[in-house]
Amino acid sequence: MFSNIDFNKLLQLFVYDPQDHLFFSTSFFLFLFLALLIVYRLTAKSRNAKIFTLIFFSLFFYYKNSGYFFLLLFLSTFINFYLGNLLYKAKSAGIKRLLFILALVIDLGLLGYFKYTNFFLRILNDLHAGNFQPLDILLPVGISFYTFKAMSYVIELYIGSMEPTNSLKDFSLYMFFFPNILAGPIDRAVNFLPQVENDIVITKEDIGRAIFLIMCGLFKKNVIADYIGINFVDRVYQVPLRFTGVENLLATYGYALQVYCDFSGYTDLAIGIALLLGYKLMDNFNVPFIATSVADYWRRWHISLSTWLLDYMFKPLQMSFRKWKIYGSAVAIFLTFFAVGLWHGANWTYVVFGLIHSTYLAVSLLTIKYRKAIYDKLHLTGTKFLKVFQIIITFHLLLVGAVVFRSDSLKTAKNVFHQIFHFFHGAVFFQWIQGYSKVAILILLGYILHFIPKSIDKKVQNLITESPLVVQALLLAVMIIVVFQVESAQLQPVIYFNF
Amino acid sequence: MISERLQNIILKELNLNSFDFKDETTANQVPGWDSFNHINVILAIEKDYNIHFKGLEILKVKNIGELQKLIDTKLQN
Repeated sequence: MFSNIDFNKLLQLFVYDPQDHLFFSTSFFLFLFLALLIVYRLTAKSRNAKIFTLIFFSLFFYYKNSGYFFLLLFLSTFINFYLGNLLYKAKSAGIKRLLFILALVIDLGLLGYFKYTNFFLRILNDLHAGNFQPLDILLPVGISFYTFKAMSYVIELYIGSMEPTNSLKDFSLYMFFFPNILAGPIDRAVNFLPQVENDIVITKEDIGRAIFLIMCGLFKKNVIADYIGINFVDRVYQVPLRFTGVENLLATYGYALQVYCDFSGYTDLAIGIALLLGYKLMDNFNVPFIATSVADYWRRWHISLSTWLLDYMFKPLQMSFRKWKIYGSAVAIFLTFFAVGLWHGANWTYVVFGLIHSTYLAVSLLTIKYRKAIYDKLHLTGTKFLKVFQIIITFHLLLVGAVVFRSDSLKTAKNVFHQIFHFFHGAVFFQWIQGYSKVAILILLGYILHFIPKSIDKKVQNLITESPLVVQALLLAVMIIVVFQVESAQLQPVIYFNF
Repeated sequence: MISERLQNIILKELNLNSFDFKDETTANQVPGWDSFNHINVILAIEKDYNIHFKGLEILKVKNIGELQKLIDTKLQN
């Protein structure tokens, strides 16, 4: 019966292959995850067995996606666990501070080495400070996410807002947990560790929500984001000058939706998968395009990163600069968004992206009084008209940032803006609709789904929760079939895996 | 219990007429108390009570009840 099976090939499936990743939407992952759920069920009575099962599976998952870089993950886990616990127990404030700084230097040092060394060398070359060859450094996938997770533990212990865990095993699960290791959400130790310590309860509602999120995630990531990305956005952004302004503008509308569906779809999958294992991860998105200001947008987009930076960077900076009042806050904004930009990657486009957003926020902060006065005078305060106006303006301000964010260089971004403002050719829109009808439908559908009220989402979720298990499985199976039907030939990694 | 004095400082700073403050009330539950206004509230409290907070002390505070406690300890010292 087994004579036709090539065991060597089978074994290869479990070995790291840079060309063959183990992402959530692959059939191999689906198979392994079902196996994990069965083992998880069998070990339901023993807390330790469950934790070790998850640790083992998570390590394998990370190894399959990043090879021997899992050793770096080990290192980061040990260092932060022991330094965190040492600093918490330290009697003298000086030693506490010293250990805290040591942890930060190691965390940011590792992140900096892998992420920014070549960028730094390039800057030195550009400044004619020498002629440095780029080093052969690969970026360990997920390093920006798990480093921030580790840092949240150390920072909370330093502030004194949480108790340390004495269990390296529990802390390891926090660090290795496969649903959020590659691209977040950047969960806080203070929220996650109590879940590891307590008994796991998976309610009917959790399962319903998980199925709903997994279906949403697959549709957003594998249908909308991948399709419009490959078939339209990528083409335009590769050579913007070959397309008219209207196509560049449409590609930018498309990209804003693509990056949202890609990342929030991935996050839905991560949250849904974690829920099936009994863990609640934090929300990462809250209808970002309905934001009425750029500040509001950052409360709705990549929430786990924006709140991380708000709590651990912006607020301490703002406190330190409080003597300069509103101008101190503006300086804190610029520094925080410089970090937001750099966090996304070692490229000038990300630095400029951070600069654009910090300028928006600082201008908004400095003019808020005057804008309020104008709205009051015109009797617009609290009106629907003002809200819609603010949503449209905010969305287009975000698009400016999105152009720079998507472009591989500042020159590409400049070309996109050039085409939009100097070579618009609006009539091409009708040809575009004909030539790219599927893309147009998906973009429209994506935006409509985005603006659907939350109450409807909740109703669908309840409907799934109340359905028998067979129907739930069937719904999921239908979505998986849809995904395989439209899936592009090559697996599309999540955009945020690069960060 | 949140003192009348603290309540008034917060209400004045956020341009509110009234708000039902409880010990467990967090900043994001109070209208207008966002990350930008946060520092104005802290500055107003420091000025009114003539006290000085350390950065870490404020970061540790999770709700208004804890803020009141922190102010009380500062006033006792």
